[in-house]
Amino acid sequence: MKAEYINPFVSAAIDVFSTMLQCELTRGKLTIGNGAQPTMDISGVIGLSGRATGTVVLSLDRAVALSATEILLSQKCDSIDGDVIDAVGELTNMVAGRAKAGLEHLAMSLALPTVITGKNHVISFGSATQTLAIPFTCEWGGAVLEVGLVESPEVAAESMLAGAGATA
Amino acid sequence: MKVLVADDSGVMRKIIIRALNACGVTDIVEAGDGAEAIAKFGETSVDLVMTDWNMPNKTGLDVVKEIRATGSTVPIFMITTEAEMSRVKEAIAAGVNDYLAKPFENDLLRQKIDKFVCV
Repeated sequence: MKAEYINPFVSAAIDVFSTMLQCELTRGKLTIGNGAQPTMDISGVIGLSGRATGTVVLSLDRAVALSATEILLSQKCDSIDGDVIDAVGELTNMVAGRAKAGLEHLAMSLALPTVITGKNHVISFGSATQTLAIPFTCEWGGAVLEVGLVESPEVAAESMLAGAGATA
Repeated sequence: MKVLVADDSGVMRKIIIRALNACGVTDIVEAGDGAEAIAKFGETSVDLVMTDWNMPNKTGLDVVKEIRATGSTVPIFMITTEAEMSRVKEAIAAGVNDYLAKPFENDLLRQKIDKFVCV
């Protein structure tokens, strides 16, 4: 996956948390992901398809998920219930949607979000997809955004030709 | 004024309904997917349709097209994560009257609702 493709997702996550939750995310160091979020409690997963295909995973600490839902609904949340699961799915949807608008040349469509809960859950992207992960911190705890995108052969070919042209 | 709110996220429906309530609208019909939205639109007369785009069973764009195919001129306000200009144009061509990309400021949502409520 091209490193430049992660940037719209990072910007989108920061923007979604700021706009919808009035919460400032501080990004950590980019790492090559391994498809696992072993310290998180809940993950929103959404598929992308088009001139690139892939998966976006937004994983949150329990405290982040509960606090985010409290802000969205203006009501106290004490446990990971249906509202929290719904909220995490919708936040993931917003991050993916905002990011794909910044990658319009890839003409991607969003699948419906899936949410996975449970301490130490692991999400596999499959061996063919290299992912990039960005950890975040905020006043409520931690979050990780992991993205795996594979360009279609047409886009990959266009990129190679553009690169060849630039160096000729 | 009666408003149909269609979104597969219950949390998002609550956010939209809270904004409608703040604008004085309390007569609200909810739908959790596109097919339910079309069914409820056929069952009751509404003054405004607020719909998401990406929903199970039928998309919000399908909802817009099916409502317009009936000849209805009811205002339709789409609230969606689909933020590309090509998508906005597609929605307008289908018959959407206003469009708001998620994420959004609550104040902006209320301003846009007010535009329909105060007509």
